[in-house]
Amino acid sequence: MTKADRVTAVLLLVFALGFTGTALKYYPYWSETGPGQGFLPVWLGGGMAGLALLLLFRRGRNEAIEWPRGEGLRHMLVLLAATVVFVSFLKTLGMVISTAAYLAFVVWYLGRHRWWVTLGVAAGAALLNWLVFVHWLRVPFPEMGVWIF
Amino acid sequence: MDFLANLQLGFSVAFTPFNILMAVAGVMVGILIGALPGVGPPSGVAMLLPLTFGMDPTSGIIMLAAMYAGTMYGGTITAVLINTPGESASVVTCLDGYAMAQQGRAGPALGIAAIGSFIAGTVGVVLLMLVSPALAKWSLSFGPPETFALMLVGLTTVTMLAGDDPLKAYVSMLFGLTLAMVGFDIISGEPRYGFGIPEMMDGVDFLPVAIGLFGLGEVFAGTEEKQQVIKGSVRLREVLPGLADWSRSKWAIARGTAMGFAVGVLPGAGPTVASFLAYTLEKRVSKTPEQFGKGAIEGVAAPESANNAAATAAMVPMLTLGIPGSATTAIMLGGLMMWGLRPGPMLFEKNPQFVWGLIASQYIANVLLLILSTVFIPLFVRAVRIPYSILMPLIVVFCVTGAYSLKNSPWDVGQMLVFGVLGYLMKKLGYSPAALVLALVLGPLAERALRQSLIISDAGIGILFMRPISAVLMAIAIVAVAVPIVRKLRGNRGQSPIS
Repeated sequence: MTKADRVTAVLLLVFALGFTGTALKYYPYWSETGPGQGFLPVWLGGGMAGLALLLLFRRGRNEAIEWPRGEGLRHMLVLLAATVVFVSFLKTLGMVISTAAYLAFVVWYLGRHRWWVTLGVAAGAALLNWLVFVHWLRVPFPEMGVWIF
Repeated sequence: MDFLANLQLGFSVAFTPFNILMAVAGVMVGILIGALPGVGPPSGVAMLLPLTFGMDPTSGIIMLAAMYAGTMYGGTITAVLINTPGESASVVTCLDGYAMAQQGRAGPALGIAAIGSFIAGTVGVVLLMLVSPALAKWSLSFGPPETFALMLVGLTTVTMLAGDDPLKAYVSMLFGLTLAMVGFDIISGEPRYGFGIPEMMDGVDFLPVAIGLFGLGEVFAGTEEKQQVIKGSVRLREVLPGLADWSRSKWAIARGTAMGFAVGVLPGAGPTVASFLAYTLEKRVSKTPEQFGKGAIEGVAAPESANNAAATAAMVPMLTLGIPGSATTAIMLGGLMMWGLRPGPMLFEKNPQFVWGLIASQYIANVLLLILSTVFIPLFVRAVRIPYSILMPLIVVFCVTGAYSLKNSPWDVGQMLVFGVLGYLMKKLGYSPAALVLALVLGPLAERALRQSLIISDAGIGILFMRPISAVLMAIAIVAVAVPIVRKLRGNRGQSPIS
């Protein structure tokens, strides 16, 4: 058992107990007609708590998990952070502008491509995305004031 | 006569210019997605699903099914050229495919894989066509206990085969089921686990979860790895295998097809298991087993045929019983539900144009796969050279847009992002995203069937063991749970039972 496995098992146990506790407190287990809305959640939560305990106390497996390091870790964290910012600004900047800005930054950061490749990919993909989803599939994208197209 | 009339109906649906275009697009995108290491068929289907929302469901499923067939072949390209399987069903192809490439025979390896995939896919569709209506008719007699037992079989068998660690696979499955409990109760209509958040009242949609777990999660995992780049090229005339190659491969293709279909039709087994079993069988029956792993063309033909036959066969339980045979068909099943269709026996009765259109389109997709995979192979080889620094952010944008387009809601995008991080962690820690998604899709159906069974029962849970079909299915489910435990206990004899 690795440390990560133990931490996961504890988190799962807490989740399972919370899930079961909520079911027992708020939802009827049995009603006049039969099983109530808390019936299955109680069993699922109980089962999950049992499996979490098995995970926590089992022995034998000790395969090291290869967590990213150095450049790999940096790339992943930057991509994650940029994606969170991208998603957060979807409503404010609109889909097209935020997509282009996100792509320009991430493509530049991950690949250090030439500026015209980076801008070409960013603008081209944002335009294609708009064409497919808004123009063809009629999905109303979030937009910033006035459409630029 | 019914059969021929249905097939005729299917071809009349599939042979429209738009549906053929969708099949072409599906095969081409599928080959490309299959060829990208780390982006497997479930990721591709999850990411493409939002594109089908504006379409007629038949056109949508035609595109997704064609894509699924394409991914099975696409994974072969990188397996042969750089010893890196594009998806798990091509892992075993690396053994002899890459060895052939090192001997300067990458062309025949890719060619025989294309021909094998075509033959296996076509035979698979014929068998799908013959088996499915009978199975659907039989399952029409199912009541709630049989339906619940069937769901349980689907959940347990898929979970049993979902990962290296059965305990973690079952935890993933239970986690998926707990997510399925969120939202309005299917029987009383009362809210459950909504915590007053309006978006939570609708429940956890499977699409943002699937896109996050498979699409975004794979991208996060991909950024930390150094990717190999394909060097060199494959010319069209090199792709066609010679007579000697064909002579060595023909029975391998036949055996791979039979093995692939038999394995693929079982819930949970899927193309990866089929390809490994076909390779093992081929090596066992070969007169020259010592050549396997050193560039034996049969070692490419058999698993490649098996994985395509299995991909087609996986649709049998999905269409007839409403239980998916693989992670990809689990996502397709979710797609069917989103289009308002109820997978299972009634699908054949109520939506014949959908089912038979899909079946007929599979013939067309296989022909397209053969043509596109041979004629455009140099193009595909060039296309998969796109740097990952460009490809990965593009996939993220596609995931975000796909999740947003479900209900035009940033909530779904946020959900997808959370499940993207969770998908990455699950992959790292050895949990099974496939089992989670399957449970999320089947959870509401299983709960409804279980509660209905208990409502009509005088014997409580005993009703599941008192009716013959549900008793047999329950026994299968129990065996599926017990097998990994017994195997584990035998493997660890002398140690603690839970070690």
